[in-house]
Amino acid sequence: MNDTNQPPQLPSPHAPPPTPAPLGEETGDNDAIKRPTDAVESMLRHPRRLIHQLSQTGGGSLILMIAMLGVACAIVYGLVIGSFSGGTQWWAAPVKLAGGLLVAGLICLPSLYIFACLSGSSARLIEVAGLVFGLILLMTLLLMGFAPVAWVFSQSTSSVVGMGVLHLGFGLVALFFGMRFLRQGFAWLNTPFSSGIGVWMVIFTLVVVQMTTALRPIIGTADTFLPTEKKFFLVHWVEQMSGDSNYARSTER
Amino acid sequence: MPHAPDHSTHPFAQIPELLAARAGTIRNWLAEPITKRLGMQVLIIVVGAGIYGATLGLWRSPLQALYVAIKFPLILLLTATFNAGLNGMLAQLLGLKVRFLDSFRLIVMSFATAALILAGFSPLTLFALHNAPPLDDPSAATREVYSAILLMHVVAIAFAGVMANVKLFQSLRSLAGDRGRAQFILLAWLGGNLLLGGQFVWNLRPFIGAPFLPVQFLRPTAFEGNFFEGVYHAIHRLLTS
Repeated sequence: MNDTNQPPQLPSPHAPPPTPAPLGEETGDNDAIKRPTDAVESMLRHPRRLIHQLSQTGGGSLILMIAMLGVACAIVYGLVIGSFSGGTQWWAAPVKLAGGLLVAGLICLPSLYIFACLSGSSARLIEVAGLVFGLILLMTLLLMGFAPVAWVFSQSTSSVVGMGVLHLGFGLVALFFGMRFLRQGFAWLNTPFSSGIGVWMVIFTLVVVQMTTALRPIIGTADTFLPTEKKFFLVHWVEQMSGDSNYARSTER
Repeated sequence: MPHAPDHSTHPFAQIPELLAARAGTIRNWLAEPITKRLGMQVLIIVVGAGIYGATLGLWRSPLQALYVAIKFPLILLLTATFNAGLNGMLAQLLGLKVRFLDSFRLIVMSFATAALILAGFSPLTLFALHNAPPLDDPSAATREVYSAILLMHVVAIAFAGVMANVKLFQSLRSLAGDRGRAQFILLAWLGGNLLLGGQFVWNLRPFIGAPFLPVQFLRPTAFEGNFFEGVYHAIHRLLTS
């Protein structure tokens, strides 16, 4: 007897995830990225296209374009941060945010390449660099999206700690999406996600949060452009949160 | 017919291959004349371990950084060279069917892998040092900061060492065709290299450099005592204090 009323088969919950099609084989992968608007659109809607274009001729100029876009977005968000204190922070905060993110990316790039190679990746240095600067671009694009919210808060409060927590929260959300892009990017470059890349993500997060302390003040004001005292970010944050009496006397926040 | 350029011999092309340590690649490299890649691998050790060594000594002073940039690769190269005979013999005795000199090449590859990993970490250790108070400032450089910096270097060096040995083990397993034999050879090589490497570390100290002692290439007591006596006395002091 033929049972023609069989229900459709559900995919097994233990079935392996579908393998992504090789780069260049999906519609749109091969469209060249010539303008900054193409790069932004690719980053948000079609990151595969961006990764594929990195491995084509002119990958170096694409990385430069991504990096410059990241700097521009960081400057916009930095202006919003600077608007809280005004004065020299109008220019200092954008410079520190953009410079800090670029330096963090450059510091962490060699270790990411090493971790990728140890995982058996065949990704080239230029592709790994593209992933790092793509991560920074996506982070700063998201931060720019948060900028109106941050601006509203910065005009409504005088608490440096409150604004710090808010910016940190936005930064961590942006970092989460940036890391997701990085993970996807490695999958498209046929690099299995390894514990080494997981460790790198933790290292990058630590470097970025330490950068906020190394370049302080970013939100508040101080007599000097850079801090005169070196601190670990956790110590700095705890001092800020607890309103340490010695620290409160200092104008450096 | 014109020949296509051999990209695999490009000096930097072997860096990702060295880190990936695929069995086929290592086999091909061992089949090549020793002069083809050894120079580049030694250069990787000198530059990679040198850069990391500089970040080890930089906390004390720029001169200490220069000294450690010389000493750190020297430890790896001296260990590989002085143990070349022993490691070659052990490999033969334990059933690794490769030429005598290939044992030396495998160890140099593994040291070059560690040096590359350390070079990759050096911008991070430099950033950490930039955020640490100066070592010669007794009010700021607390015991906790010193311990944290020391721990960071220990973790970085241990990670590089473990990963280099994991890659060496992969190569040995492929060459020996037997997991147990590869483990035995790796342990034998590790034993010899740690014994000699530990002593070189002792002779060539200081690395970070104590703030209350002068910056020196070698301590006046460099050739007095040995690494294991030092460890024994440190444990004894800890237990009896």
